[in-house]
Amino acid sequence: MDNNEVLNRNILIAVDDSDNSRRAVSYVARLLGGIKGFKVTILHVIPQPEDDFFPASAEKQQWLSEYRARVDTVLEGYRQILIREGFEPTALSLRSTLRYCPSIAECILLESGEMDYGTIVVGRKGRSRSEEFLFGSVSNKIVSHARNCTVWVVE
Amino acid sequence: MASHCLPARQVPQHFRIHTDTTDFFRIEYGDVILLGGKPYLIRHNAKELRFGLEDEVKFWVKRAVDLSDGSLKIIKLVFRERFISRIGGIEFECFRSPRKEARILTRVAHNKNFMHGFSIEDEKGNLVRVLDFIQGQPLSYSVGSMECDHQTYFYQYFPLILDRFIECIEAIHFLHQQGEKHGDIRRDHILIERDSGEYRWIDFDYNYRHVENIYGYDLFGLGNILAFLVGKGDLRLPDLKKQGHPALSQLSQDDENIVFGNRIVNVRKIYPYIPQALNRVLMHFSKGANWFYEKTGQLLQDLHECKNSR
Repeated sequence: MDNNEVLNRNILIAVDDSDNSRRAVSYVARLLGGIKGFKVTILHVIPQPEDDFFPASAEKQQWLSEYRARVDTVLEGYRQILIREGFEPTALSLRSTLRYCPSIAECILLESGEMDYGTIVVGRKGRSRSEEFLFGSVSNKIVSHARNCTVWVVE
Repeated sequence: MASHCLPARQVPQHFRIHTDTTDFFRIEYGDVILLGGKPYLIRHNAKELRFGLEDEVKFWVKRAVDLSDGSLKIIKLVFRERFISRIGGIEFECFRSPRKEARILTRVAHNKNFMHGFSIEDEKGNLVRVLDFIQGQPLSYSVGSMECDHQTYFYQYFPLILDRFIECIEAIHFLHQQGEKHGDIRRDHILIERDSGEYRWIDFDYNYRHVENIYGYDLFGLGNILAFLVGKGDLRLPDLKKQGHPALSQLSQDDENIVFGNRIVNVRKIYPYIPQALNRVLMHFSKGANWFYEKTGQLLQDLHECKNSR
């Protein structure tokens, strides 16, 4: 790396409501809390269920509003973890976005590509091999597909 | 109309006519469903094969006769369910969607490897699917009931079976390219049409909530069928133990199906004449795999290479 290169201090933490996401947020909080210059976005991609999942559109709307309320609470909880460890509230932003995601990892990378993030942080779920075979792994895919940024996978 | 399509003794004196199919339990043998002005005479409820158990009656799936031309139909009425499925200790959310099946029917109308039919709403807006009846047996029955030994099967029958199954995988590849899953890939969901010998996928109203790999569960189903076809049945560890099979001492966990631990997918250890290239494909569905298929195209490419090398 060129010593004169300015480090990109924008960090994207991609989360859901799992323990491993909480660990990822806590890790960043403990590692970087109180250090000036870092900006953190906590992102949750809401995987839009296929229309087939709902018998009627009213049910879909209800599902979505309940989901959004739940996500807002979770994201606010993560924000408080970062503030407690010394992050300035102005350095933090929360984002939840509804997307149809054949691949959640690709949606996260798309979000990351739209902004200028130097680091993506994700938690690892610790799936069994058979689960990974059947349903894939978001963190593995991010590691293998991310470009022009650093990826931290927190266990 | 019914007298043109049925023997005289089977023509009922009175018909109950349904234009609302919401309560499918009320629609019984000898009733008529009117859809888009066309009368369908209901015969039996369909049954689903359940391995080792009594067949399950599917009250929302009716065998019927199209009284306008006498053709046999399967009529699928609206039945929604959402449930947690569990395979090999892994739980995931599944649901049944008439809309999905209706959409796929339109997409595959010209593909010979799928069942054909159309969808139409009844007077209450229920999306009913009217399917052409396929005369034939499930692939599972056809292969499972062959009486020859494995070696004879493998050299005489399997090459054609593999060719036909590759066509089925290409059909699933076509679905995936359209962003659709089959959702319930099983060996009894391929029917072998009696006259043409074509393999045809049936039943695509199931769906599952995927996580990262949208087509992983479909691919798992394809791998299971392939292992079944290569092995001329499931190579179950308990059966091999019961037989005192000589290969037992060479088997390890790496040779087992990645989800169903009691099934062996390293078929070459049981039948050494299985070509290495084909066995390598099967091993991508094993506990010892260091790489998994993510797309049907990858599986197809490997299978085509197997074919070209034989």
